[in-house]
Amino acid sequence: MPPTNPRVALFATCLVDMFRPSVGFATVKLLEEAGCEIHVPEAQTCCGQPAWNSGDRETARDIAKQVIVAFEGYDYTVLPSGSCGATIAKDYPAMFDEGDPWRIRAEALARKTFEITSFLTDVMGVETVAAEVPRLVTYHDSCSGLRSLGVKAQPRKLLASAGVSVREMEESEVCCGFGGTFCVKYPDISNSMVNDKVTNATATGAEMLLAGDLGCLMNMAGKASRDGKQIEVRHVVEVLAGMTDTPAIGEGQG
Amino acid sequence: MSGRDEIMQKLTRTLDQGDGRAARQAAVRAHMAKPGGPVPSIAREEDAVGAFIERAIKADATVSRIASADDLPKALAEELRNRNLPAAIRHGADPMFAGLDWGGLETSVGIGRIEEPATLSRAEFGVAETGTCVLASGADNPVTLTFLGETHFVVLDAGDIHKGYEDMWAALRARGLTPRTVNMVTGPSRSADIGQQLQLGAHGPVALHVFVIG
Amino acid sequence: MTVQSTTPQFKQNTKDALKNANLQTALRDTRNGFVGKRAAAREKMGVDEFEGLRDAARDLKNHTLANLDVYLEMYEEQVRASGGHVHWAKTAEDAQRIVLDICRKADAKTVNKGKTMISEECGINDFLAENGIKPVETDLGEYIIQLRGEHPSHIIAPAVHVTVPEVRDEFRKAHTHLDADRNLDGLDTLLKEARGVLREKYFEAEVGITGANMLIAETGQSIIVTNEGNGDLSQSLPRVHIVMASLEKIVPTLEDSATILRVLARSATGQDMSVYTTFSSGPRRATDPDGPEEYHVVLLDNGRTDMIGTEFQDMLRCIRCGACINHCPVYQTVGGHAYGWVYPGPMGSVLTPSLIGVEEGGQLPNASTFCGRCESVCPMRIPLPKMMRHWREREFEKNLTPSAMRYGLKAWAFVAKRPWLYRVKTRAAIMALGLLGRRKGRFAALPLASGWTGGRDMPAPEGDTFMAQWKAGKRP
Repeated sequence: MPPTNPRVALFATCLVDMFRPSVGFATVKLLEEAGCEIHVPEAQTCCGQPAWNSGDRETARDIAKQVIVAFEGYDYTVLPSGSCGATIAKDYPAMFDEGDPWRIRAEALARKTFEITSFLTDVMGVETVAAEVPRLVTYHDSCSGLRSLGVKAQPRKLLASAGVSVREMEESEVCCGFGGTFCVKYPDISNSMVNDKVTNATATGAEMLLAGDLGCLMNMAGKASRDGKQIEVRHVVEVLAGMTDTPAIGEGQG
Repeated sequence: MSGRDEIMQKLTRTLDQGDGRAARQAAVRAHMAKPGGPVPSIAREEDAVGAFIERAIKADATVSRIASADDLPKALAEELRNRNLPAAIRHGADPMFAGLDWGGLETSVGIGRIEEPATLSRAEFGVAETGTCVLASGADNPVTLTFLGETHFVVLDAGDIHKGYEDMWAALRARGLTPRTVNMVTGPSRSADIGQQLQLGAHGPVALHVFVIG
Repeated sequence: MTVQSTTPQFKQNTKDALKNANLQTALRDTRNGFVGKRAAAREKMGVDEFEGLRDAARDLKNHTLANLDVYLEMYEEQVRASGGHVHWAKTAEDAQRIVLDICRKADAKTVNKGKTMISEECGINDFLAENGIKPVETDLGEYIIQLRGEHPSHIIAPAVHVTVPEVRDEFRKAHTHLDADRNLDGLDTLLKEARGVLREKYFEAEVGITGANMLIAETGQSIIVTNEGNGDLSQSLPRVHIVMASLEKIVPTLEDSATILRVLARSATGQDMSVYTTFSSGPRRATDPDGPEEYHVVLLDNGRTDMIGTEFQDMLRCIRCGACINHCPVYQTVGGHAYGWVYPGPMGSVLTPSLIGVEEGGQLPNASTFCGRCESVCPMRIPLPKMMRHWREREFEKNLTPSAMRYGLKAWAFVAKRPWLYRVKTRAAIMALGLLGRRKGRFAALPLASGWTGGRDMPAPEGDTFMAQWKAGKRP
């Protein structure tokens, strides 16, 4: 059982911090509704995944230490991202050798780090969210959240509680082609992959395309707008928090 | 230094950094004494014969049951007729076949040739787990008959059908069989290499029919 | 290295692949076939039992690799006892030489080939042809690509990139002894024609070469798993049978082979069992009326013993089922030839740098989004993304990472390690970008981001950073 009012540290993630703060605020709203006490550690930058996945172990370790120090004092660390969540929950322990005191600290932080929909459902036991959003959406299962953290049913369950209908697309579990640095290292392949993804998403006839990772969302939104496809692309927490009055990702403010 | 020595020395040097040679030999002995992994429920079904027939059919084989080996010539003749095949069969020197009255069927004994409309083999075992026939090579049932027949007929004793692969291997050991080749056959030959569309009869038989005795 | 790779030109290869309409059609037509069939086979067996078998298969192979020298000795002894020969090939060149020697001694003019990726790795076909011996591929897919002068684009479906009209054209070109006006419309007529042509070839060859899915230490048997039956004809009809196998193919016992067989076909094609699973030991016995008179095994190392004891050892559990390839979105987008060497897809992206060097093959482990779908379906639970990342680490250590990327990483790391600086820098950049893009909500072009904006827009930031707004007291 979690503490009644757990002290939760929000790791906004670099993309949310820079590109879509409203995802951060929506996450805060959901956490508060679930009875959490929110903290936003000042010393957060990035989780270090770009370095880790580029083979730069030393930088990745340095950043991991910085994150561990900033976040280990709280009951939980929660992120609006399965990708960054998996970096902390799965990769941090692997960055340090057995016997290294940092390994123990990394493992301790890993155990209490969660992606937001998984945290609400699996840890806080949230059954319903407050928002009512009677819209038809389709959901892209971002890779790290799905395969490293087992995020699949949780967002769907919460969406259903908000009156959202999910119409599944073909290949909802197939990568959108973002892949961090992959999308700029191999833009042609990435573009073809996101083309498939947006084609599958729009084929459902859904009004909205949701996912739990901003990298994937920016990729899909960018493709949809380039190809003139009419689908509102949003982070799942925006819908769950009932915060759909802001322009969707890639949409202008007029 | 020979290729063998070079490879083995490199391997041994690396593996020695873990457990020593003696420990490795002990680990191997322990494993050989108790080999194998989990046996799935499909390999533990009580009605092995029923499961064998069902799964062989799922693998695109056809199956019929006959009461005894004496019924084989008649059943085979009928199958050949139904398939518009000539009333002729090629088989090996298996004693089961030698003692049968083939009636009007033209039979010949020997290995597979370039054109074989129909061949017959006796399977040593069946495996219910996947509807698989298990054939042992030799003069009794030459291996080429299994692959060169356009239609391959296999006869199998119901009592030789085992639930899973492990049971079948145990029975093979118990029978003291060490053939040059053990052929596990599950349905007729197939390929999806043209346009990724599955078609039967790529190089081996277009059709496989199993007679289960008993 | 004996087979020339085009892996360093991976990027160009992928561009060509994306523009190749026939290839894109073939890839699109097949992308969900294998995926759906594997999923159905797993469901049918029962998910828990299938997952349990994956664990058992992983543990079995780990045990075998940890004691590989003992098992190899046991295997060699058993092959000898059954009258066969074991030839140890440290390199692909050694394997070529060994195979040629055996063929010459057999006075071979024609060699039939069952499907073997080890032979592809060693470039046996070209080498035999250069030495006046005609290799004939008998697997239907391999036969088609041999006619086209290509290499396989997939380890279990070598001609998956070839469309039906292309097959038709190849058969008309190659089978000139047949009526030029014959009807080749139906798929069945194409299959029948290939069957007829190849049937004759089986009886011509003096030597048959196959691969091996497994080698059994306890009995000295080699196992081939096929659906067509060509491998069996290739190894039963010629006078000499050569098995080409890499040394990690060893499993201890017959019972252990059952564990692997239970995950192999289900992962590969979604079958419960492939049609033909054949266990062979030694040459024909005195009383055998058929089978080869000589039985040779060429045991190939070619860099594998160098992988043992390293972070790449797990790759040696691979049973070549192709599941990782079938499920890889990058493979599904560019096909197998773009990878530029013998092994495509995720397993190729890990194995290729091991076998031809990271300098030559280093592009491949980078060309992954780390989506993890490969690992999620690998019957041997090989952590493929993790090993691709290990290659990136090796590249980074060896300074092989492209300099722009290296420089970018360094600059980013400097800032990311200093939260106060990070706040200032990101805020300034984002505010500027936000001001420029907020009205439209996106950018159609951005300096330094042409890779992104070539095919899609870049969504604009909303305005100020989350951290700055939070600090200023904004709450939802």
